[in-house]
Amino acid sequence: MSNEQSVADAETPREDSRDSSASRAGSAEHTSIDISDLELTYGDGTEAVSGVDLTVGDGEFFGFLGPNGAGKTTVIKVLATLLSPTAGEVRVNGFDVRTEPRKIRESIGYMAQETSIDPELTAEENIRFACEAYGVPRGERDERTAELLDLVDLEAVADKRSEEFSGGMKKRLDAATVLVHRPPLVFLDEPTTGLDPTARNRLWEYFQRINEQGTTIFLTTQYLEEADTLCERLAVILGGEIVADGSPADLKRQVGGDVLDIELGDGPEARARATTIAREFDDFSNATVEETEAGISVTAQAARQSGTDLLVALRDAGLTVTGFNVRAPTLDDVFLAITGERVDTDDGAAATEESI
Amino acid sequence: MSTPTESGTADREVARSANTFVGDVWVNFKRWNLKAVRNPFVLVVSLAQPFIFLVLFTEVFGNVAGGAVSQGLPGIDYTTFLVPAIAIQVALASAVTSGIGLVNDIENGMFEKVLVSPMNRTAVFVGKTLAEVFRIALQIAIILGLGVLLGAEITTGVIGAVGIMAVGILFSFWFIAFSNMLAVLTRDQESTIIGANLLQFPLLFLSSAFLPLEVLPNWIQLFARINPVTYGVDAARAIMLDEDVMTVLEVTAFDGALNTIVPAVAVLAGLGLVFGAGAVYLLSRASSSDVR
Repeated sequence: MSNEQSVADAETPREDSRDSSASRAGSAEHTSIDISDLELTYGDGTEAVSGVDLTVGDGEFFGFLGPNGAGKTTVIKVLATLLSPTAGEVRVNGFDVRTEPRKIRESIGYMAQETSIDPELTAEENIRFACEAYGVPRGERDERTAELLDLVDLEAVADKRSEEFSGGMKKRLDAATVLVHRPPLVFLDEPTTGLDPTARNRLWEYFQRINEQGTTIFLTTQYLEEADTLCERLAVILGGEIVADGSPADLKRQVGGDVLDIELGDGPEARARATTIAREFDDFSNATVEETEAGISVTAQAARQSGTDLLVALRDAGLTVTGFNVRAPTLDDVFLAITGERVDTDDGAAATEESI
Repeated sequence: MSTPTESGTADREVARSANTFVGDVWVNFKRWNLKAVRNPFVLVVSLAQPFIFLVLFTEVFGNVAGGAVSQGLPGIDYTTFLVPAIAIQVALASAVTSGIGLVNDIENGMFEKVLVSPMNRTAVFVGKTLAEVFRIALQIAIILGLGVLLGAEITTGVIGAVGIMAVGILFSFWFIAFSNMLAVLTRDQESTIIGANLLQFPLLFLSSAFLPLEVLPNWIQLFARINPVTYGVDAARAIMLDEDVMTVLEVTAFDGALNTIVPAVAVLAGLGLVFGAGAVYLLSRASSSDVR
C-alpha cells in the first residue's frame, strides 16, 4: 500500500462531497468549526474561557496558540465533546456539541495532549481497536490498519507491544489511531510537546500530509515555530479570550517592523542605558525596546534602514556592541507584542496546563 | 437540530459508523481479554494466592481443622470444605483487577480515548465487566479442577461445578463495583490496590470461609453475618456438599441445600445491585462532559 494510493483514496470522498454540497443551501457547508460566545467556567469558579468566537473553514490548517493555562485545552475539549460549554453556541462539522455529541465523535479525530495508547497492546492491535471503536467496516480494517502503520512508519514494529516504544513512536501511533475513520476534522492538542526535534519534524510531515489529503486540522501549540511552519491561520488565546487572529504573516505584520537584536559587552547597567538611548532614538518612531539576556532588542519599521545609526549612537555613548542582527519578526515577537510576555516553551512547564 | 442539511454536512466524508450496542460490547470484551492474556501477571497472581491457600491450608491445618469441620458436617474432609471458599477467594482477588484496569485506562489516556469515540458508554463498561467475569469463571473452574485433584468431592457433579462458578460470578459483582468505585474516586493505582487488598483478608478470615462459624469467637460470628463473603462461601459450599450449610440465616422454606442457596443468592444479588448502582453513578459522572 503506497502513500500515493492512500492519498487518492482519501480524496475520492472529498470530491463526492463537493458534488453533494452543491445541491445544499446554507453557509455552514464549508465550516468545520463554528464557535460563538463560548464560555466555560469550572466548578470552582475558574473562568477558563470567556466569550470566544471562532470559525474554522473546511480543509484549513488552523493553529490555536497560547501559553500554559490560557484555555487552549479547555476549548479543544469542548470541541471534542469532553466538556459541555457553560454558555455559547458550538457546532462541529455542523453538529451541536450539546445535542449531537455522538455525531461529532463519529466525525472527528482527537489526539489528546497526553499520549493515549494501550501499552499492553501491539501497534497493530491499538489501531485495530480504534477501527472497531469507530465502526470501520470489517472488510476495510486490514487495509486501513496497514495503510496507517505505513503512514506513521511503524510497520516494522507492528507486532511489538507499544510499551516498548519511544516517546516519538508512541505519539505517531496515537496519531494513527485518531485517523482510522478518515475524519474530516482532526484535533491535535500540543502534539509535539516533549519530543526531540527529529521526532517533531517527522510528526509535522504526517500532519501536513493528512492536511494535503483534505483533512481540516485544529492544532494547539505553545511552540511558535510549529504554528509558523504548519498553520495557514492562527488565533492567539490568552486568559480565556482570543486576542489575535490571522495568518502568520498578518500577525507578524502586527509587530510593527523588523527586529534589531543588539548584544552588549557590559552589564545590566549598560543595557539600561542602551534601552534609554534606543527609545529616544529619533529615526525610530513607535519603536518597541526590550532588554534581553545579552543586550537589547528593538522592533521598529525603520530597523533595517536606520539600524546602523543606532549602533553608532550606542558606540558614541561609550557602550560596547559585541554583536547585532536584523531579522524579520517571528511569532515569538508577535506573542510578545500581543501579550506583553515571552512565551515559556519549557518542556517541563508544558505538562502543567489544566487537564480534565 | 438535525435538519437534512446539517446531517448532510458531516455525512459528506465520514461513512457513518456501523456500531451497535452488542458490537461495542464485543469490541471491549475482546480488548480486555487480550489485555488479560498479555498480562499473565494478573492471571497468575489472582490464581496463585488462592492456590497456595488451598494447598497450604489443607496440608497444614487439614488435620486440626478437619475435626472442627466434622463436628458440624460429619463425613466432610477439609479439602472439600475449603474448595468452595477458595473459589470465592478467587472471585474476590480477580474482582480487584477490574478497578486496577480502570485506573490504568484513566492513567494511560485510554479512558478519554474511549469517551471521544462514538461507542456506547454503557456497552464499554459492560464489555469490560463481561471480560472480567469470564476470567473469574475460568479461574474458578481451574480451582475446582485442582481441588478435585487434591481429593475434594463435588457432590453435585458437573452441574454443581457450573453452579459454583455462577455463584462466584454473582458474588464478584459487588466487589467489581467496589473496586471500580475506588478507582474513580482515587484515580490512583496504588490506592486502589491497597484499598481493595487490605479488605480482602479481613473479609475472608472473618467469614465462614476457612472454619465453621460455630468454632469461631462470637465477634467473628457477628461480623460474618454482615460479611458478603459468608453468603458467597455458604452458597458455593451448599452446592458443593448438597447440604444446608448456612448458619447466619435460618431459612427452612425450601428443601436441603436450597435453604442456603436461595437466601444467599438473594443477598448477593441485592448487594450487587446496590454496589452496582454506586459504581454506575460514579462512572457516569466520571465520563460525563459536565463541567466540575
